[in-house]
Amino acid sequence: MVNPPAISFHDLTLGYGKHAVLRHLEASVPRGALLAVVGANGTGKSTLLKALMGELKPMSGSIHLQGFGWRDLAYLPQRVALEQNFPMDVHDCVAMGLWRQVGVFGGVSPAQEHKITDALATVGMGGMQHSTLSRLSGGQMQRVLFARLLLQDAPVILLDEPFNAIDTNTTLDLLKLIQHWHQQGRTVLTVLHDWGLVRQYFPATLWLTDGQAVYGNTAKVLGQQSERWVA
Amino acid sequence: MLSQWLRCCLLLLLVTWLPWVHAEEAPLKAVATFSILGDMVKAVGGERIQLTTLVGADSDGHVYQPTSADAKTVAQADILFVNGLGFEGWLERLVEASGYKGKVVTATEGITGLPLADGDNHGGVDPHAWQNLANAKTYIQNITRALQDADPVGSAVYAINRDTYLQQLAALEQQLAETIGKLPEDRRSVVTSHDAFGYFAAAYQLKFLAPQGINTETEATAKDVAALIEQIRAEKITAVFVENMVSPRLLEQIAAESGATVGGTLYADALSPADGVAGTYLAMMKHNIETLYQALAAK
Amino acid sequence: MLYDLLFAPFADYVFMQRALVGTWAMALGATPFGVFLLLRRMSLVGDAMAHAILPGIAVGYLLAGLSLTAMTLGGLVVGMVVAVLTSMVTRLTRLPEDASLAAFYLVSLALGVLIISSKGSSVDLVHVLFGSVLALNNAALLLVASIATLSMLTLAVLYRPLVLECFDSAYCRSVSTFGVWTPVVFLVMVVLNLVGGFHALGTLMAVGIMILPAVVARLWTQQLGTMLALAVTVAMLCSWLGLLMSFHFDLPSGPTIILSLGGMYILSALFALRPQRGKVDSVRQFLQ
Repeated sequence: MVNPPAISFHDLTLGYGKHAVLRHLEASVPRGALLAVVGANGTGKSTLLKALMGELKPMSGSIHLQGFGWRDLAYLPQRVALEQNFPMDVHDCVAMGLWRQVGVFGGVSPAQEHKITDALATVGMGGMQHSTLSRLSGGQMQRVLFARLLLQDAPVILLDEPFNAIDTNTTLDLLKLIQHWHQQGRTVLTVLHDWGLVRQYFPATLWLTDGQAVYGNTAKVLGQQSERWVA
Repeated sequence: MLSQWLRCCLLLLLVTWLPWVHAEEAPLKAVATFSILGDMVKAVGGERIQLTTLVGADSDGHVYQPTSADAKTVAQADILFVNGLGFEGWLERLVEASGYKGKVVTATEGITGLPLADGDNHGGVDPHAWQNLANAKTYIQNITRALQDADPVGSAVYAINRDTYLQQLAALEQQLAETIGKLPEDRRSVVTSHDAFGYFAAAYQLKFLAPQGINTETEATAKDVAALIEQIRAEKITAVFVENMVSPRLLEQIAAESGATVGGTLYADALSPADGVAGTYLAMMKHNIETLYQALAAK
Repeated sequence: MLYDLLFAPFADYVFMQRALVGTWAMALGATPFGVFLLLRRMSLVGDAMAHAILPGIAVGYLLAGLSLTAMTLGGLVVGMVVAVLTSMVTRLTRLPEDASLAAFYLVSLALGVLIISSKGSSVDLVHVLFGSVLALNNAALLLVASIATLSMLTLAVLYRPLVLECFDSAYCRSVSTFGVWTPVVFLVMVVLNLVGGFHALGTLMAVGIMILPAVVARLWTQQLGTMLALAVTVAMLCSWLGLLMSFHFDLPSGPTIILSLGGMYILSALFALRPQRGKVDSVRQFLQ
């Protein structure tokens, strides 16, 4: 491989309780990779990201982060646990990305305010700083969450189904942002279902199915399969 | 051989006959609804009865919730003693549930109930008739008559017990009258947390003020509390009493704000445990009057 | 005249002042946590918790008598046990969280009743355990005031983590170690406020003053800071109003305070439901 490995999985088995979801995964993700993680529901895609974040302990095997720590990971979880009706405005939501720098008590410096404004502009939400979250559409909310990720400025970014039920415009805009991250040399792992998008935007793919995992160049992995995996 | 056989027969006869005999002389199963009544019933019944009390010492007969063990007790009872005058709101359902078909003796039969000061529950009648020693005589008479009807064999014993008790009662009445008589006219107002002393007040010319209605379930209102504080101040009441079942906190607050002191514990609806200061009815009345006297007479 | 109506009862009577201080302390301590409970969609949890901690308090009393520490600890322990068991059962079985919580709190409540009635003098125990707003002695006042202080301190320190954890718990866990134990501290403070509230003011008051002002505030504002301030203000205002009603109209004081809050809620809801420009058609549709 050209680049040194960023994340390696060694004989990794993940599951909940006694039930294993992902079995014996052996793979090495190089630094700066733009990786799509695909598979039917229940094959362990989200579980994999959670394990990377340290939320889940492997049942057996291990995960190694080479040259990275937990703090270098930025994570966008699935939208289920998000309370969009929470009384908060866009600015404060994005500012959460600065948590590591600002902490529990710190204030937001003018330089950081700048970053917030820039981030919002980048995702196409410029000028909406003071809108309440509950008034945003699904696509707008997603853009805001990506702006939050921008502020984290992390070398490794994990995205769990970021385009679920999102309009096409937003999806395309955000994919451009992901490509920009790739160009900056960040390592990006994205869980998604739309193989069309995968083929078009993601050079590498990890395909999880019941019992086995296939990893490598997207064209090779998705190969002859022509139908979209709608799971 | 024959003698052995005879011995066996006799033994067998004895064994089967003994329970019969025992059954004849088994004590009367009496059930009383609460501790004060129970004490009186036991005093008259003595060894001839086996008494069970439903609401025990230091427990509230107003808000009592009968258990299934109680239903069983009542079902197996030979005779049931109740206070009446609306004291046991829960009784009707218990008797129905237990299927008890025996005699229910109302201890207050023949007593004219005093009207309630507030008039909210109990259909307007104050049930605490036992707070007047004179009424206790009627209680005892009613209890004795009932026991004599149920167990004619023991009539004489019941009569003796009744007379002994009535003597003790008379002695206590005398003592009480003397003690109260020593109190000056302007020192006869008392505050207590439970409005159960209507009969006591009427019999012994004392005035009882309370922050709550008779039933321990009613909650205090701010207006009541304020009115009571005013009254204590106006009538210069020096002593406030804590009844043995209701939360003392409210009373302590009233006492603190109005300048009165907490004078001790009065027993209204229940006896104290047997080893306490008010383990029997007579002891209870004696304790109450002495506690009152001490607090009121003191400067 | 207005003075007599609105202020005199408090000026003239110490017990009224204490009642006001006690309820205001609850407003400062419990109400903000009520707002967060509401935002986490856990409003009924407050009520369920209130019932669940009963055996804890009873056991505390039985073991150590009238020791506030024992009762508070007992309540806390049982509260935490129920919370933990609920989330365990939710995670390991198919039961949704509200079902497990319902099951546990009912069991807990029954246990509490059993323990209390086994002692014999049931009324005595109930009155000892559950206070009344008109009977706040020094110990009870100190208890609510301390809990209020602790609550405000906790909120000051944990405000950001709490907000983040409420809004997006998965993300919160990914950026901060606070994410794991913030919900625990939150629950502990809720239970603490409930236990203290019971002992000082009784069950109805404690839960009511935690949840109702939050519901009212929610109907008026979309900003968290404003919501918290508004909830506390509403709680204080309605305590004052409720006590006045109890005084002037001879009504029990706990219920009057809660009913004042309820009245506020109804007014707020009516105001929020008023037909808005462009929404008239939908109202008509709704009525059909």
